[in-house]
Amino acid sequence: MVELVPSLLRQELAALAANDERIDGRGRWDSRDIKLETDCLYNAEGSAKVTWGDTIIYAGVKFEMRTPWPDRPSQGSLMCGAELRPVAGRKYEPGPPSPQSIELGRVVDRGIRESGCIDMDSLCIIPGEKVLGVMIDIHVLSDKGNIFDACALGAIAALRTATVPAERFDIGEDYPLAVSMTPTMCSFTRVGGRYVLDANEEEELGGDERIHITLGDEGHLHSLQKGLKGTFTPAEFDEILGVAQQRCAELANLVNSKEA
Amino acid sequence: MGGYGDVKLLREDGLRLDGRKVDEMREVEIEAGILPAADGSAWVKHGLNVAVCAVYGPMEAHPRKIQRQDRAVIDVRYNMAPFSTSDRIRPGFNRRSREISKVTAEALESVVLVERYPRSKIRVEIEILAAEAGTRCVGITAAAVALADAGIPMRDLIVGVASGKIEDTVVLDLDKAEDNYGQADLPMGILPTTGEIAFLQMDGDLSVEEYNTCMDYNLKAAREIHVLMVDALKRRYAEKNGGEA
Repeated sequence: MVELVPSLLRQELAALAANDERIDGRGRWDSRDIKLETDCLYNAEGSAKVTWGDTIIYAGVKFEMRTPWPDRPSQGSLMCGAELRPVAGRKYEPGPPSPQSIELGRVVDRGIRESGCIDMDSLCIIPGEKVLGVMIDIHVLSDKGNIFDACALGAIAALRTATVPAERFDIGEDYPLAVSMTPTMCSFTRVGGRYVLDANEEEELGGDERIHITLGDEGHLHSLQKGLKGTFTPAEFDEILGVAQQRCAELANLVNSKEA
Repeated sequence: MGGYGDVKLLREDGLRLDGRKVDEMREVEIEAGILPAADGSAWVKHGLNVAVCAVYGPMEAHPRKIQRQDRAVIDVRYNMAPFSTSDRIRPGFNRRSREISKVTAEALESVVLVERYPRSKIRVEIEILAAEAGTRCVGITAAAVALADAGIPMRDLIVGVASGKIEDTVVLDLDKAEDNYGQADLPMGILPTTGEIAFLQMDGDLSVEEYNTCMDYNLKAAREIHVLMVDALKRRYAEKNGGEA
């Protein structure tokens, strides 16, 4: 994209912000409409499709049987990765994983991992010999802004509806994966000088830094990340954290409503 | 092809394990224009296979060395999502996906009026989200619908279909078990209006006679899927114009 477009866009976004307006008419803390579908893909042991405004992502859970790490003989593992393939938008190009996609995958991974919603000991089959690895893969199909929140929502929804394919591994009957919590993410982007919830594609293009907050049950913080150039004040953070508390609870309810 | 003879694929009553007749296709559903970020897109469900395709362009071809003075190049990427198969596959290109991407691109070049867009590039991104045998064909069907949805001129659509042989019997549209334990597989990309073939691969063992039966089945299936493709595109345009198809 040519430099000219973002700079004109920045002016427009700043003018809108002065009147407390947004480019698509939403209020500052309004999210776009979200549609969550689960159990939608054959072959994935847990799957979710998230349609977040015009942003579309799929998440799929697979399991693998592996030998445990020598220093943690009775613990399974969790891995979450995101792919920003060229299908997701004009700006994405083929090649090895970009720094963006690595950040995306790792931020989503931390939110889930650090919440402790998966008990790693419960993934142990034979201590020192066999443990389960849980792999969450996220596929972004259409990036129209705020892929972070969409990916985090898809990942936890796919996980919460996943079935351990025990029969395939010859360890008994298939059983649902135990997930004890529903961590969800809320992202804020500085647009026209102030933070807004759920920036769309234009707001991201003409905006500044972003903050990702992942909250678990009872509003506990499990992962924070600031991305892109810019700074914020403690007072600004307090304000968005308050919004995130409410919003994450709503997102968790949405995920929990999908459970079998 | 996989093993021979040791797995029963046909029932006593002559039907296949999933109850289909020998010349019966799995169920197909098609939607056009499902990805807001793309210039054209399609979603195809064929049996349990799910393929999504996004088309971007025509756009400037870069790097420059791929430019052609007299036509557009078609840049196809066929990719299987890590969760699309029963064992997770490592993300990224492999030899299989590179080959499928190449022959798919060549098939699409035969229908797209590439000479209309010199020095440009049309990106076709095929993502397989769920795989149950026949993904390259589902990908071709999705690509054709996505190209049409992007408004790129083509002389015909192209339909991906396959037939093969199980227990010495020719059958249309192999499923996973039939693909794994069958004796032959013949995937094709067919231009439904003219009956020309733009994509062809085969492996296994077929007599000339069996090949001819496969060909008949494939043509029949292509006509059936073509109706669904056209229908999906009409619905898409009705939606754009706010009216009924």
